[in-house]
Amino acid sequence: MPVHESDVCVIGGGITAAMLIERLAELKPGLRITAVEAGRSIFDRENRGTYHRRALEYGEHPWHDDYIEDQQAKGMISMTMAVGGQALHWGGACNRFSEEDLRLKSMYGLAYDWPLEWNELETYYVDAERRLHVAGDPSPYPEDRRSAPYPQPAMPLSYNLQVLKKWAEQSGMKFSPLPLSRNIDKPHGGRGACGLYDTCGDVCPTGARYSPDYTYQQLIAAKKVTLHDRMLVRKLVLADGNDTIVAAHGYHQDRPTEVTEYRARWFVLASGQCWSPHLLLLSATSRFPNGLANRSGLVGRYMNGHKFISAQAMIDEETFPGQNMAHSLISREYFRCAADTPFVRHDTRVWESAAGKEPRLRSADGRLMLGDELLTEWRSRALKGSSVRLRAYYDSHPSADSRLTLDPSSKNRYGDPMPKIERQLDAAALAREGATMHHVTAVFERLARASNGRLVSKPVNSSYWDHPAGGCRMGADPATSVCDSYGRSHDHENLFVIGAPTLPTGGVTNGTLTFVAVSLRSADRLAQLT
Amino acid sequence: MKRRRAIQTLATAAAALPLLRVPLEAQQLSSDHVFVLRDVAATVLPSSIGRKGQDEAVDDFLRWIREYKDGVPLSHGYGEPRLVKSGPSPAPGYASQIASLQAAAKARGGRFGALPLEDRRALLDEAFKAADVRALPGRPDGKHVVADLMAHYFRSSAANDLCYNARIGRNTYRAIRVTTVRPQPLAAQAAGPKPQAR
Repeated sequence: MPVHESDVCVIGGGITAAMLIERLAELKPGLRITAVEAGRSIFDRENRGTYHRRALEYGEHPWHDDYIEDQQAKGMISMTMAVGGQALHWGGACNRFSEEDLRLKSMYGLAYDWPLEWNELETYYVDAERRLHVAGDPSPYPEDRRSAPYPQPAMPLSYNLQVLKKWAEQSGMKFSPLPLSRNIDKPHGGRGACGLYDTCGDVCPTGARYSPDYTYQQLIAAKKVTLHDRMLVRKLVLADGNDTIVAAHGYHQDRPTEVTEYRARWFVLASGQCWSPHLLLLSATSRFPNGLANRSGLVGRYMNGHKFISAQAMIDEETFPGQNMAHSLISREYFRCAADTPFVRHDTRVWESAAGKEPRLRSADGRLMLGDELLTEWRSRALKGSSVRLRAYYDSHPSADSRLTLDPSSKNRYGDPMPKIERQLDAAALAREGATMHHVTAVFERLARASNGRLVSKPVNSSYWDHPAGGCRMGADPATSVCDSYGRSHDHENLFVIGAPTLPTGGVTNGTLTFVAVSLRSADRLAQLT
Repeated sequence: MKRRRAIQTLATAAAALPLLRVPLEAQQLSSDHVFVLRDVAATVLPSSIGRKGQDEAVDDFLRWIREYKDGVPLSHGYGEPRLVKSGPSPAPGYASQIASLQAAAKARGGRFGALPLEDRRALLDEAFKAADVRALPGRPDGKHVVADLMAHYFRSSAANDLCYNARIGRNTYRAIRVTTVRPQPLAAQAAGPKPQAR
């Protein structure tokens, strides 16, 4: 059996692992760190232009073989399993949560308070923004205080977004450019500058949008980490006679019958909200029959994220769809809720859109249109006002029964049951669903009204929860949480769970920056201990 | 007879032109087929892009077909992902579709492009209905070569620019500063008829 020894074994190769390793290597030079990732490394940057073109022209997935067909979860929102994880193809949105997210129980009597102080988390937001080279402007809401400016000014607004900002602010709400992890006008961190291909969420040909594969390549080149990819860790192994973890057992995709043992002083689970709790549940022993780190019974519970409401509006303003469809405006007006009003919290986002303005083959009366006639009819719709895309992520507090469980009906090649995630709102959140929809619809209608606009159809609720998190929530009390505020397991002193799984609640805006911030905090704690 | 000979001569000559040197697999489209496709393109693509622009649109469509790969994973999607692979090339039916169109045009009196517009529309309408083409496809799907050519062009960044008479350049490399101002109008000859005022 091949055996690899290190000081720290990180299981998972996504953005939080990349950030934790980078930080650890800075704080503890010489620390032997091994990262083990089930998926493959996709480091062929030289082909990214071609993949980008083919994604646009043919709809091909630009990240070849970034999934493992028999290693999939029900209820998971992305199939990607590769070095870099889902941040290979994220949009780069870097919104902060607000102080209220950490104080829901004490401020509103809802959900659960996080076991850390906002002021401390804020310093890790600053570090996360520096590492991700975020471009943003200060929030127009003074409550969104910052201790340091963004590393870059915001991505400039396109002409379309300038028009839409003027329109949207007639509602009385204040909007800002979405903070983005993107090199705006010059290369940085080994990555190129933005060429506005507008395909950030698929693939960035220049690397302007932060992607963890760059960080891994840099860490590997500097010998700060040893990366073992295509190696699925199926089990964490306990020491005989005590509760420390002594090893992780991995299986390489090309050697499915051979166990590779990873021994380390410290283990860090960085496999995201799905695969981190899954591995803990899979690693059950006679002493931990419900899974490791699970004396509380909460591993795989309180799966969170946030639901969202979407709508399209038509307004009189003139825009030119296609200028910068990946960029958007955000309002943090409803990040806070007064104590004496019905509880509702959400972000509000605005994008340019071409919805309803696509070319058509037939006229309204069914006549086949050709050439100039088709173009004329297209123009008659396209040039008449503008379509606007609206969306609100809203507070969706999970119940304890919002769960990840092992699904015996779905197994991988080794016979391991795969995860099944079924999210559920807690009773209070469920009770206010109607009121939340009513409130968000009113906000969208208020926005639309400013330019003789209207909502094209009734706003719709999402079929899934975005920016999923939870499953190993943090807390001070081992009876009601899986790990402490640093992600250190209450049950196993040398085991950390980092990033998304540790979040008790999912906030009302994109989660990645927060996943990174709490992981950097975990790195600091781990560095103190090693 | 005279017309047929003229068409044959044109087809032979056209096959030698650089614009027609689009290497498709022999069993898919011959130079005669490509010639007919160019003839049809003059009807189904905007006149304002000119004959040259229409030929370029056909060339780009043929390149797209040539570079098509089947069995390749498509974007998994986000939210409710699933593994879908690209289907077989849409091209195998194209030759027979073009031949049918050519035969139908001949039955109405000659070359497709020489027929009255309403006859051309009727021919395509009939062909599209037979092929169950109800809307412009998102991407060429093989139901009918002409609908696929139209989709390939009208869903392009160039067509978007033409529609708005503006240099938007959707999904193309651009300096950020270019997008921060109202896009410039296209050159007069490319824009065609002036769009109606908004």
